[in-house]
Amino acid sequence: MFRSQAMSKVELVVPEHDVVPVTEALAASRVFHVATDEHVGTENASRRASEWQDRATTFADLERRILTVMEALGVDEGPPPSETPHLIWPDVAQMDVERLEQEAQAPVQELEEEQRRLTQLRRYLSQLEPLADLEMNLGTMRSMRYMFVMLGTMPAANVERLQSSLEHVPFVLVTLRREDHLATVVLFGMQRDAEILDRAARSAYLNPIRPPETYRGTPAEAIAALQAGIERARQHIAEYQATIEHLREARIRHLCHLLWRMRASRTLVETIARYGRLRYTYLVAGWVPVSQLPALKQKVKQVSDQVTIEVSTPRRKEDSSIPVALENPPFLKAFQGLVTNYGHPSYGELDPTPILALTFPLVFGIMFGDVGHGLLLVLLGLGLASRRVRALRGLASLGPVLIACGSTALVFGFLYGSVFGFEEVLRPLWIQPLRDIMGILLTTIGIGVGLLSLGMIYNIVNAVLARRWGHLLFDHNGLAGMVFYWSLIGLAASAFVGHLPISPILLVALAAVSGLAVTFAELLGNLVEGRRPLFEGSFGTYLMQALFELFETVIGLLSNTLSYVRMGAFAVAHGALSLVVFIMADIISPAHGVGYWIVVALGNLFVIGFEGMIVGIQTLRLEYYEFFSKFFSGNGVRHRPLTLIPRGEE
Amino acid sequence: MSVKSVSAYSLIHATVRARYSTMLTPETWNALMQAQDFDAVLNVLSKTVYGPCLQIERQALNPRRAVYQIKRHLAGTYQKIIHLTPEPGCQLLIQFWRLYEVDNLKATLRGIETGASWDQVRHLLAPMAKYTILTTNDMEKMIRSGHMARAIELIGHTPYYNTLVHALERYQAEKSLFPLEVALDLDYRRGLWQSIHQLTGLDHEQALRIVGTVLDVDNLLWAIRYRVYHHLSEQEIINYTLPFGYQVRDEDIRAIAGGADIAQVVKRIYPGADGLEQLSEQPSAGLAALELYLQRHVVKTCRAAFMGYPFHIGIPVAYLLLCEHEIKDLTVLVEAKDSHLPLETLTSMLETQP
Repeated sequence: MFRSQAMSKVELVVPEHDVVPVTEALAASRVFHVATDEHVGTENASRRASEWQDRATTFADLERRILTVMEALGVDEGPPPSETPHLIWPDVAQMDVERLEQEAQAPVQELEEEQRRLTQLRRYLSQLEPLADLEMNLGTMRSMRYMFVMLGTMPAANVERLQSSLEHVPFVLVTLRREDHLATVVLFGMQRDAEILDRAARSAYLNPIRPPETYRGTPAEAIAALQAGIERARQHIAEYQATIEHLREARIRHLCHLLWRMRASRTLVETIARYGRLRYTYLVAGWVPVSQLPALKQKVKQVSDQVTIEVSTPRRKEDSSIPVALENPPFLKAFQGLVTNYGHPSYGELDPTPILALTFPLVFGIMFGDVGHGLLLVLLGLGLASRRVRALRGLASLGPVLIACGSTALVFGFLYGSVFGFEEVLRPLWIQPLRDIMGILLTTIGIGVGLLSLGMIYNIVNAVLARRWGHLLFDHNGLAGMVFYWSLIGLAASAFVGHLPISPILLVALAAVSGLAVTFAELLGNLVEGRRPLFEGSFGTYLMQALFELFETVIGLLSNTLSYVRMGAFAVAHGALSLVVFIMADIISPAHGVGYWIVVALGNLFVIGFEGMIVGIQTLRLEYYEFFSKFFSGNGVRHRPLTLIPRGEE
Repeated sequence: MSVKSVSAYSLIHATVRARYSTMLTPETWNALMQAQDFDAVLNVLSKTVYGPCLQIERQALNPRRAVYQIKRHLAGTYQKIIHLTPEPGCQLLIQFWRLYEVDNLKATLRGIETGASWDQVRHLLAPMAKYTILTTNDMEKMIRSGHMARAIELIGHTPYYNTLVHALERYQAEKSLFPLEVALDLDYRRGLWQSIHQLTGLDHEQALRIVGTVLDVDNLLWAIRYRVYHHLSEQEIINYTLPFGYQVRDEDIRAIAGGADIAQVVKRIYPGADGLEQLSEQPSAGLAALELYLQRHVVKTCRAAFMGYPFHIGIPVAYLLLCEHEIKDLTVLVEAKDSHLPLETLTSMLETQP
């Protein structure tokens, strides 16, 4: 639970003739994460890879072509098939695609041609319609002597800009029609300003209308001729569409099947292209959860008994490339989602999900302690998790988080003695935040110190697991950092409390030694781990940088710790907000009538909705920003098993 | 402070705050600047948030590939932030993200113009994750068509179609990509402006301040470039620029278009801008300093968004913009280290570092 699934590195030596079925079996196992670039340097790899890469390119091209045919025939690709199809060889697929293209090409091209013609005719028609009443030959407009006239279409958004750009030139711009994004306009001006007007019109994307010479005479005559042409084009289009519909019905299943088969084949050959290659064999490397190894071996052996499978435990230096498959029980999945929203742990690093599942509700509960509010959150969480409300199904994964947070809020409600804001009904088992503000603030700082220390412990454990001894000993979140932090806390406590079982001199000494270790963490770390040079650049620069880093560490520790005061502050605010609700209720109805209870109910809803949300945000912030930053990089690689056809859950 | 805004932005705020802390620190930048060469830069970056995306075979990791991999990080970041941001702010982020799509489309059009192959073009495209209208497949089809009009017909399903098909007539007449590119740029920014105005209250205010500043910078630089380099007429400059912005007013753009002293106009908007004297004497020389100043101004505006009340769209927008600028600086740094540029020259080119 605290660690991701143990991974094994699996290397398969696959005879050339079995490479396709073996890859299909690996994909069918749904547990094999292909290690990329593992055998790039292998002899012959590039030549053989390029053969498979060529096939992948062919498949990509064929897929594009088949999609074009499907698009032309109006066929949707549909859902992926339930069973992954086997490889189709490119030459077979190519023949099939060419046949389908030939069948579809003629009617589709004719249809497109006719549709283009129809669009063009309609465009001319719409441009000429506003001029229908004009008793003037179209040719005359083009040959005016003293006037500049430009009839055309332009983006409607540009009309105003064109007008304003011509403010220093006499002109008239008449908008004849606006349709969607286009406006049909006519621009009048003086012939002497023709150049300015022409450049302005062009820069506003005013395209002059030039109807074909076949449409002559007055606009009304040209319009009549255009309408007849449109009618003829429509009839032709209806005929072509009927032919295409017939073809679609006949080929729909075959097209979908072929498309998915080609997609699976493309993924398959792309995967093989990344394999290493010896003379007659392929080298396949990847990562598999240890628990899934027997099943994988069995699947591979079913398709080829000549495959050699070598299993090894990962080498330390490979840690950054090993994929991570988190393994948490179902009730922690919601918290796992919060972790992966931040990032994936690296292999070998502790999975923060379990600790997040504990600390997240704890922090929330401290800030939102109220029996009634907690109970409502639990009920809301149960409602979400049950998926009974259709509209809220998308939030179902939040259900367990709400249940956990609601439960801790309920527990802290008993500790604070608060139920729906009433603080006199229950006897507080521990503290009433509103009556002991300093107490709750100091306690939450204490809890913050605990949580930050926990983060440091996580970091120390991670360093041990990764055998990064320098990091373990000297990092500002490692052992030195932790001693430094606790020494400072001890010194602060002795200043306030007065007497501590540890001598302040010892604390000062510990702080000085650990502070020095943190200051020179890089140098000491490199020394312990045998890395050279011990530091980059000159010693002076390094010293300056180290001292600044120490300063930053101290400030960081202080601010991180004080950040947790907000837990106490919100616990106080929770009580104070409830108090305000009761004051308002008293003002509305001093005799505690119906109005009083309405205000109390609405006020409680407000507190749950508004403050609950803010507390949720603050909790997330404390976890991500203060806690995770102590130990969690989130730079891990997610385990992505090979699959030939992507499915919804992936 | 409204309950609605707190509920809407709670998760995104916490996530952005956490991710904001993973941006490169001044110490890391210092180490990057001091790095001897490209390999040393990779060593430093491998320990940062960019580490995972640089985990590919070292031999294959030349500067261009490294920059591409770093940009993939940006694509992932956009995808994640958009996914977590609620409507309608999410639409603004999607529109913002589409700038890269527009750039890819322009690269594709350039590819068609120069007769480049798909293999040549695809290496120039910015990595895109989800939330795109134009797929790689579309762009591949466009390049393979080898013909501008046919290529544009292939993207009839996208909002770019109407813009391009209308500008096509000018492309065909002038044999220049300029009208197509300007039409795309203007159309994209109008869409962005509309997305800002679909927001209300604090979201609108913050989006206007941050995105409006970005639009200001583009608009101002366009107007100056059109005048200084392209020698366009007043009317053309006005038609090729935007009538809106945050600090840059339409009158400012008109003044530049009408031949006013560029330095005076810029000084009125940004009194502290660099290179103003040079801009007066020799505009082309002062433009680089001004551009750097304006980009740094955007970075400052973004950083300021993190102060004060945090539940608004300004936080994710500012974070994404800061990521973009960080990656722009990393690109400069990688290229500078690869070509052994002196440290002082490099420092003077960075936008996020003082």
